[in-house]
Amino acid sequence: MKIEKRQVEGKPLTVTVEYPEWNRSVESLVRKIERLDLSFVGKSEDGLVRIGILDVYYVENVERKLFIYTKDNTYRLESSMASLEKEAGVAGLVRVSRTCIMNIEHLKEIRQIRNSHLEAVMDNDERLIVSRKYLGDIKRAFKGEGV
Amino acid sequence: MKKILRDACILSALTILAVFAVSILWMGITAEIKLVLELFGLSFIIAVVNYLLDELTSLPIIGSYILKYFVVTAIVMLFGFIAGWFFKSNFWMAFIYVGIVFVLAYLLDAIKIKRDIDFINRKIKERA
Repeated sequence: MKIEKRQVEGKPLTVTVEYPEWNRSVESLVRKIERLDLSFVGKSEDGLVRIGILDVYYVENVERKLFIYTKDNTYRLESSMASLEKEAGVAGLVRVSRTCIMNIEHLKEIRQIRNSHLEAVMDNDERLIVSRKYLGDIKRAFKGEGV
Repeated sequence: MKKILRDACILSALTILAVFAVSILWMGITAEIKLVLELFGLSFIIAVVNYLLDELTSLPIIGSYILKYFVVTAIVMLFGFIAGWFFKSNFWMAFIYVGIVFVLAYLLDAIKIKRDIDFINRKIKERA
């Protein structure tokens, strides 16, 4: 597979896939790229906002309400943890506890803290509690196996 | 190696169940067969309780092991009394049996967690 990259100013990010014949590998590649283009519609005080998957730091379930956290903002999301997980599995979103799904693209470090909890440090220095049960899922996501 | 050991344990369990199933047809339930079936039953109950505790609690690792230690010991004692495994004077032995298994499981788990964390942090550094 040949990968070509070039900067084109003034145009949106464009991915072109050229293939000799359509097969399962090409289909899988296209599906993965499409998932990376995934976005959510979040609700804020200013109204509805489209949030790209790459801007999502983590999603948290607080009293059965979902909230999306970006670097600086929080939005309410009309969805469920299960459907979100299913939708965003290959896009770098991984469940890290019963109530939290994290974007591993913004993960800076995982560490074990004194009371033997696990903690994820994000690149904006926000910290999330990681359940030991989901550590294997994070590892698999880094291996590129998906979860 | 881990996969081979796990597969060997599963195969052993299936072999024991298959051999005993045939033996039951020929000889009925002997004391040995009854004991093995009871152990399978106990293992099943412990596996279900372990799953439920993982799903319903989010304690620190040590806290989770301590809670499971007491819950599993209580199950082993109750099951042991019903199955007639213990005399009234030596029921506390369940704490030792379960304790040995838990110390080993905790040590293995701690090593695995450390390895997983190191792997993830290495991958993060590689992509940076």
